[in-house]
Amino acid sequence: MSTLVGPERVRGSQGRPLLRPWLPRKVAPYVFVLPFVAIFVAFSVYPMLFTLRLSFTDWRGSGAARWVGWDNYTYLLGNDMFWGSLANSAVLWLMIVPVQVVLGLLVAVLLNNAKIRMRSFYRIAFLVPFVTPLVAVAQIWVVVFDQEFGAVNGLLNLVGLPDVGWLTTSEWAKPTLALLFLWKTTGFIVIILLSGLQSIDASVYEAASIDGASRTRQLWSITVPLVRRTVMFSVVLQTLAVFQMFAEPFVVTDGGPYNSTTTAGLHLYENITRGDLGTGAANSFLLVVVVMGLSLLFVRFLRTED
Amino acid sequence: MTTTHAASPAGTRSARTRATATRPPGQSSRGLPAAVGSQAFLLLLALAFLAPVVWALVSAFKPATQIISDPLGLDLTALTLENYRRMFADVPIGQGFLNTAVVLVTKGAITLFCAPLAAYAFAKYRFPGRDLLFGTVLITLMLPTIVLIIPLLLEMKALGWVNTYQALVLPGAVDAFAIFWMRQVIADVPDELLDAARVDGCGEFGIFTRIVLPVIRPALAGLAVLTVMNIYNDFVWPVVAASSERMATLQVVLSTLAQNITGNRVGADYATVTGELLAAASIALVPLLIVFIALQRHFINGILAGSVKG
Repeated sequence: MSTLVGPERVRGSQGRPLLRPWLPRKVAPYVFVLPFVAIFVAFSVYPMLFTLRLSFTDWRGSGAARWVGWDNYTYLLGNDMFWGSLANSAVLWLMIVPVQVVLGLLVAVLLNNAKIRMRSFYRIAFLVPFVTPLVAVAQIWVVVFDQEFGAVNGLLNLVGLPDVGWLTTSEWAKPTLALLFLWKTTGFIVIILLSGLQSIDASVYEAASIDGASRTRQLWSITVPLVRRTVMFSVVLQTLAVFQMFAEPFVVTDGGPYNSTTTAGLHLYENITRGDLGTGAANSFLLVVVVMGLSLLFVRFLRTED
Repeated sequence: MTTTHAASPAGTRSARTRATATRPPGQSSRGLPAAVGSQAFLLLLALAFLAPVVWALVSAFKPATQIISDPLGLDLTALTLENYRRMFADVPIGQGFLNTAVVLVTKGAITLFCAPLAAYAFAKYRFPGRDLLFGTVLITLMLPTIVLIIPLLLEMKALGWVNTYQALVLPGAVDAFAIFWMRQVIADVPDELLDAARVDGCGEFGIFTRIVLPVIRPALAGLAVLTVMNIYNDFVWPVVAASSERMATLQVVLSTLAQNITGNRVGADYATVTGELLAAASIALVPLLIVFIALQRHFINGILAGSVKG
């Protein structure tokens, strides 16, 4: 029920009632959400509920499904591959998110300063990887980081360093993947952080510099606390993205070498391609719990410091 | 995630931006070295960000064997269109472009109409079921999209929609992030503005089209660019739902070509496939790059106008 009160019927200048609105205010919101709800229920909510039910069965794509209770969940919780995939994602998170926040903040602060020239060029340059198709980007990455023929090893050789097996050794594959992700998404984070910076009132800085605060001091005592919400938003956004990361390892490394880049997202896909749909479904809901828990943790962590 | 200030229509924001930009005293005394250092740092970083894309665009014109033997060199006399010629002969990239265009226009129109409209209802009306519905939207935001692929595929099979445009267009047409973002933006539109229109005899839908949409135009432009990008770049669902040659979108065509690099194709050596791959990647990213550079101001301002503030 609408709690806002407004004129139910509007009168014209001669007191003559205008046409009764064809869409009464109480009905309007339902009409407005209808097209969205139709698509959302048919192609998001229904498959989601289907997946939830699937996670309690041993269905393999055909035949009758047998109800197995929590078996899929307990199987995963005792499975090394599942924990390994979570650990891979956690390591990738550590390689990506802190670097991205620090680098993003640094670049955003610089781009927010009028004395820096060519600012619009930089904004475009940092966003170019973000807008380019992942498949194209991933292919470029595979070619550039090739051990024998790649441009990166070519550069290393120029300065007298030996070849590195960027995508073929388990110690380098994760950093290379993290680098791809950083390169692809940092521009977007810069713009989001920039929006936070621009909402800070300039007078705060003026007051601080009159009081003799150095620029570094201003950065730590004014800028960082005031953009904390924006930072939190970026961290949550990237946590979701890193733990769901699927396409990047799928195209670039296919999870190898030795499963070192089998992310949580890729692992659940592997369950599905093995035909083990019930386990795959359970895997995805466990992932939701992890992601939700982490998000809440970050929100709380970044909020209570006020 | 609510915004800290109640309302900030475009005008006040740009004024504030300018004020921050011409940040006075304090800094000027810091002098030249710091400014030069910052400038150099940004320039190096920007070049590093552009390098892989530029490298791919240039290398696509090099003879395939040279891409491999001399990845960093550039022999201007040897430039060739051979990679493009072979790539066009090998994969149906024209059909891919056409399919992508059809999906882009229809799916984009649905998203840009339905998302703000529903977000308007979520932001400015109170009705039973609102919070439940919006909560569900937030949950889907956290659910990895790949988990929905199997049930969606079964649904498509049941409807007889595999390898059709409907299958490419409808699922994901109104994505949760668009609703979430637009609700945030519309919540910032002052209620007084809407009530004034109501008093003037404006209908509920009229308020949306004549007041809300014009006010949120910067964010809407941002959503438009983001939507176009997402649709153009999507490949996981199209690979699953419409992989036939007739229905393959550009990204699907591209990813089938990528599988050749692992040596599945008989008679093609690594160098040839790499050359074709770079040609295909270049041709796929150039249209988007042009659209982005042409509209970047709207896109960046849209995000600046529409995200969470500090």
